[in-house]
Amino acid sequence: MNCQTYLHRHENPLHRARRWFLQDCAVGLGGIAMADLLGKQAQAKAAAQNPLAPRKPHFAPKAKRVIYLFMAGGPSHLEMFDNKPKLTEYNGKLPPAELMKGYRSAFIMPGATLLGPKFKFAKHGQCGTELSEVLPNMAKVVDEIAIIKSMKTTAFNHAPAQIEMNTGRPQFGRPSMGAWTLYGLGSESQNLPGYVVFSTGTKGPSGGSSNWGSGFLPTTYQGVQFRGSGEPVMYLSNPKGIDTRLQRDSLDAINALNRIQLDQVQDPEIATRINSFEMAFRMQAETPDVVDLNQETKQTLELYGAEPGKPSFANSCLLARRLVEKGTRFVQIFHEAWDQHGGLTAGIRKNCKDTEQACAALIMDLKERGMLDDTLVIWGGEFGRTPMVQGGNDGRDHHPNAFSVWMAGGGIKGGITYGVTDELGFNAVEDIVHTYDLHATILHLLGLDCHNLSVQFQGLDQKLIGVAPARVVTELLA
Amino acid sequence: MPASLAITVSRLAFLVSVLLILPASGRVNCAGEKVGEKQPVDFALQIRPLLSDACFHCHGPAEEDREADLRLDVKSSLFTPVAEGGIPIVPGKPEQSLIYKRLMTDDPDLQMPPADSGKKLSSEQKELIRRWIAEGANWSQHWAFVPPVRPALPQVKNEQWVQNPIDAFVLHKLEENGLSPAAKADKLRLLRRLYLDLTGLLPSVREIDQYMKDTSGHAYEKKVEELLNSPHYGEKWARHWLDAARYSDSDGFEKDKPRFVWNYRDWVVRSLNRDLPYNQFLIEQLAGDMFEHPTQDQIIATGFLRNSMLNEEGGVDPEQFRMEAMFDRMDAIGKSILGLTIQCCQCHSHKYDPITQTEYYRMFAFINNGYEHNTIVYSPEEELQIAGINGQIREIEAKMKQDLPDWRQRMRQWEQSVKNDQPAWKVLAVKNSTGSNSQRYYTQSDGSILSQGYAPSRFTGQFAVTVDDKKMNAIRLELLVDPRLPANGPGRGLNGMVALSEFKLYVSSAKTPDKKQLVKFVKVTADYGNQPQHLSPDLYMAADGTTGITGPVSFAVDNDNKTAWGIDAGPVLRNQSRKAVFVAEKNFAFPEGTRLEFHLVQMHGGWNSNDNQTLNLGRFRISVTDRKDVVADPVPAAVRKIFEIPPEKRTEQQNETVFSYWRTTVPRWKTENEKIARLWKLHPEGTMQLVMMERTDEPRDTYFLDRGDFLKPKQKVTPGVPSILNPLPKNEPLNRLTFAKWIADRNSPTVARAAVNRAWQAFFGRGIVATSEDLGSQGEAPTHPELLDWLAVELMDNGWSMKKLHRLIVLSATYQQSSKTTPQLLEKDPYNRLLAHGPRFRVDGEIVRDIALSASGLINLQMGGPGVYPPSASFLYLPPASYGYKKWPEELAGNQKYRRALYTFRYRSVPYPVLKNFDTPNGDASCVRRDRSNTPLQALTTMNEKLFLECAQGLALKTIQQGGKKDTDRISFAFRCCLTRSPSKEELKILTDLLNAQRKRIASGEIDAVKLITDEAGNRVVVPPARGKIKDSEMALWTILARVILNLDETICKG
Repeated sequence: MNCQTYLHRHENPLHRARRWFLQDCAVGLGGIAMADLLGKQAQAKAAAQNPLAPRKPHFAPKAKRVIYLFMAGGPSHLEMFDNKPKLTEYNGKLPPAELMKGYRSAFIMPGATLLGPKFKFAKHGQCGTELSEVLPNMAKVVDEIAIIKSMKTTAFNHAPAQIEMNTGRPQFGRPSMGAWTLYGLGSESQNLPGYVVFSTGTKGPSGGSSNWGSGFLPTTYQGVQFRGSGEPVMYLSNPKGIDTRLQRDSLDAINALNRIQLDQVQDPEIATRINSFEMAFRMQAETPDVVDLNQETKQTLELYGAEPGKPSFANSCLLARRLVEKGTRFVQIFHEAWDQHGGLTAGIRKNCKDTEQACAALIMDLKERGMLDDTLVIWGGEFGRTPMVQGGNDGRDHHPNAFSVWMAGGGIKGGITYGVTDELGFNAVEDIVHTYDLHATILHLLGLDCHNLSVQFQGLDQKLIGVAPARVVTELLA
Repeated sequence: MPASLAITVSRLAFLVSVLLILPASGRVNCAGEKVGEKQPVDFALQIRPLLSDACFHCHGPAEEDREADLRLDVKSSLFTPVAEGGIPIVPGKPEQSLIYKRLMTDDPDLQMPPADSGKKLSSEQKELIRRWIAEGANWSQHWAFVPPVRPALPQVKNEQWVQNPIDAFVLHKLEENGLSPAAKADKLRLLRRLYLDLTGLLPSVREIDQYMKDTSGHAYEKKVEELLNSPHYGEKWARHWLDAARYSDSDGFEKDKPRFVWNYRDWVVRSLNRDLPYNQFLIEQLAGDMFEHPTQDQIIATGFLRNSMLNEEGGVDPEQFRMEAMFDRMDAIGKSILGLTIQCCQCHSHKYDPITQTEYYRMFAFINNGYEHNTIVYSPEEELQIAGINGQIREIEAKMKQDLPDWRQRMRQWEQSVKNDQPAWKVLAVKNSTGSNSQRYYTQSDGSILSQGYAPSRFTGQFAVTVDDKKMNAIRLELLVDPRLPANGPGRGLNGMVALSEFKLYVSSAKTPDKKQLVKFVKVTADYGNQPQHLSPDLYMAADGTTGITGPVSFAVDNDNKTAWGIDAGPVLRNQSRKAVFVAEKNFAFPEGTRLEFHLVQMHGGWNSNDNQTLNLGRFRISVTDRKDVVADPVPAAVRKIFEIPPEKRTEQQNETVFSYWRTTVPRWKTENEKIARLWKLHPEGTMQLVMMERTDEPRDTYFLDRGDFLKPKQKVTPGVPSILNPLPKNEPLNRLTFAKWIADRNSPTVARAAVNRAWQAFFGRGIVATSEDLGSQGEAPTHPELLDWLAVELMDNGWSMKKLHRLIVLSATYQQSSKTTPQLLEKDPYNRLLAHGPRFRVDGEIVRDIALSASGLINLQMGGPGVYPPSASFLYLPPASYGYKKWPEELAGNQKYRRALYTFRYRSVPYPVLKNFDTPNGDASCVRRDRSNTPLQALTTMNEKLFLECAQGLALKTIQQGGKKDTDRISFAFRCCLTRSPSKEELKILTDLLNAQRKRIASGEIDAVKLITDEAGNRVVVPPARGKIKDSEMALWTILARVILNLDETICKG
């Protein structure tokens, strides 16, 4: 939903235009009557008004940027991060009746029995955290990550649960975490989108583009979809037959004509328009360079398992690193492939093969470049999977009561696990982290107070955490 | 101040700055000059908003959170002693007023608002409150809850500027602020503004010339009438309402399947064009189906309620998402009709407005008793055709009756002979035994099962039951119609169709249920099976590229999943209950009890379960009998139902229904019956449309939901309305129609105000109340409260005519002002709230596209019909960008791609990118106010997107053909096509320089002219007519020029 000009009411449109015009607009301003229009006094004030200008957070941040690896479909915590030997023992047995009281499931019917985990777990790293055998590369960086095993959400269908994980509530229409981040912090780059989204895996996320929407925040903050190959952003390339010089000449004519109008009618939006066209031109120049993986060394490409020109999750991870290096604030990579109602063993194995090397590579690469300290990497899906079987003996249903998420860098304490599920992995039972607690923690790492990052909409102070009793999970902080 | 504070600027701080430029103390500007001491404090505009924001959260309407039992939003408790002692407000005596004391105290335990509330009042605000009390603490209800009365026109100094009453109000405010209105806009800029506002299109060069030639002195007024009567007026204004109505062509959520609602969109266009009174417009959308004899249009209108999203992903609980849709309907009614945000009352009473949670659920109860029905509607041409067919059938039937004058007697005899000829069938209470709950099954009161939620397209449903019958020889499967199924069903297919690939019965002893035996059927009959036919590959192709066959019921027992029992009897006739009877080889009962397991194999749907490719059983019932000599009853269920009515009590319609079946049993009428059957085949198919249908059989109860959780119903509630709003009409049934009439009532305090405010917003970019979705106590105060009320009353007095309202606005001097501003004015009133100049802003996304199409001459002005698919990027509609495979059949043939953007197909999960980049809402929720961003992505779109380039080519062609021979003439022509006005000398020079420079580059070969004007295949996209061949270089040159003009800020702005 893009439905709000009201919230710009704190923002004097004149100031918005001023800043862009004076600081960002590369065209010569000589001779325009803007000097009068743009009182010097207002400049400092105006600096805060460009919707994408970098802004200071509420307090000193640990993380300056975020790469969110969104494993859509609901990855099984039981096959990857949450070792449950008892579940093996109870394989084929009915779950205890008291657990099932009031339990609502998506597909499975009452009478579904427990299913033992499909993979072996072993301890890794100095921390000795247990990981399953399908995560050999993650095992190498396990000392860098904090695994939350006690995640909990409210929705148990994909679209609502993804929307909850990304926007705070299972209903559509609210701003995504990336949009909130841009709203709070702006972007470090004025030539690249501040919030970039990749879609990888077998299909797009169930929640569609609302997963990266701006809800009732200005549309400027919505995620911009990047493609793994071809034109990275829609309409980025000049039309056929129009070379860079012609584009530049056309732009100069457009800007000159717009400036005449600005002189005449003095609407500051015209100044913003001139600036938007200039930014667009710079984006055209800079983006192809940023997405050119041929500039990476063979070693780096191999580390990720990326191949230039061949869209993949690995490529997207590497592109994410290149984008955040250039100042993009928030990158989200969706990998929708984790809905293992059946074919659990092969499915998890394949998904891990497709993703976990790049996940680990991203951490290593960021660390090597000294960027891990202030880059927050998040890995997780919208919910977990049932300890009960679905179908024959190789599938699990959606499960909101317990699942695992890991985070690394950006002020996260590495090498720890947090929270505990019961012996079947059915319920998170200790140190429960609800979606809104995770949101509060992420915002905190970015230097934003989840109770204060708000916008007036429909008469209320709307927040990412809504009215939930969210807490920052301080135990995760370095 | 630290930059980060920009994020958290409190509403209170903002209120002060707003109030400073507002009435009462309106002489003061935002430069921060002190409020004039002599002006008395205005409670409604200055005090109530402060109290609302700082106090109502804990001392407001919400009883569950109310602190100290103190309520500050109602007069009674403000001036009454409180339990702990003291009086909140003692008029005239601030120091004795509890509120003021608690505001001023330093004691953190007593201080209000408490520190942890996050609310804070500035010393100026506290001073305002002190002054208000000192001046006598005048109190009034929040303005929006007092029905509007027509205010007197204010006195103004500059009387000759006033064209109509609007101007008096606006000018009064300007004069109060020491401002004067801007000059009248240039004739042509105003003409363009008018075209864009009333039709969303540009005037053609010929229209511009004609307009300039009109020296009658009434050219503008004539143009206003012409444009108000243009069919494109409805298209322009429909888009505003469709935002509020959250219109979209797909379901939303994961599946996001295409849905059939465009008839609703077209109804909105038609209604606006014929100026359907706004109150009637609302009533039809909320309850058109409940009119005594509703027209098809009135039924279509209820599509408004059906524009909610629908979640049919695997594993959903349909009731959960029905409730989500109900909440969405309430939200839409609140924002778009009432102008109130009532969403919060789902979970708790409103914190700021006097609407309780109970009142919310009482309104909810009014609209909760509907079926979400998909009906079939017909175009006017189809309706004519239908009338013709019906006439012919009636004629043939009349002849039959003449042929057998004693037909009544014969029919009665036949009825007696068949009335009791059916064996006793025992309905089996089967339950889903598949082990998967993906499609959900609900047992109905007649023992039948209704399939809901996710609709897999290829699967086997399993249903089991254990019975102790000692003798069982045959099974009957009934496929039943139901209003919750498409076109009534009986299937879940697009047109209610169904295909049963195989019907299998496994039986086992109740003692050894796992030892199953397949029952062999020896005789299978059905009351209908269509001729063997291939299904349409468009919808029902399997992943292997094959398409199934449907035919007689024997196809359901032939052990071949490629063939199925089909009941497609053609238009209309296909949507009726059917039955099949399966007779077993021998008694299949076990003496110790029998477990029956039915396998309903449904493998005839298409491969894509994210599209409408299902052919599932919708509602069905399984029965058993001990008799062997049974066949499917040929008499339709509907006819049997009439048998139960005593003949003398039957209606003519019922008699006709019986006759229309009976005649088919009369051998001598074979020819006539065949003739009629052939006529039925000619019946038009019509189009599906989502509508609302009232439940009459089993009314649905509504409960107060704890925290809005549908799993936690508390007390039952009866329909009712909030006591703060107008009362319900007396002696009317408590149903949706009464609710609709109540909401569109003249006594409603908010409905007319919300409507005129949004119209104002569309013309001026901002409503008189900026928060057009919320006129309530947290909404922004109106800049011109008297004008708002005057317009609201005017709307109602004029028979709720929107066209009259729009006419009044565009004829005002206020509207006709030039949009030029000045630095001084910008500093003083950056949002132009006082309207010291005319409106200027970037047009809505759809109009951005329409402007380019309209200027280029490429536009296809065909109105109505299904959504169209202009060029997009195919990857968006395919995994991994999209969840499912979505259709986006770019209509390259013909000029469908040049239709107005109103008709672009709208997927919620994958919005059309051009529109998305220009802030077009996707229908997730009701939107009564769009964002209006100004971004680099927009620049990339208009510069580089395919269709925009085609528009440049189109404009180039038009310019070469119609713009004269000289460069300057041509430049002027292209300029006027986009901007209506002619270019200035300076503008002409910039464009001429560009032209000359690029002409050289083309001549030198630096620019490849052919490449610029051809598509990937090397064909010219915009083909010039054969005569007078235009050179590639010339086309390319003028395309470059046209592209520049199409990309000007002024081109996509209304100014």
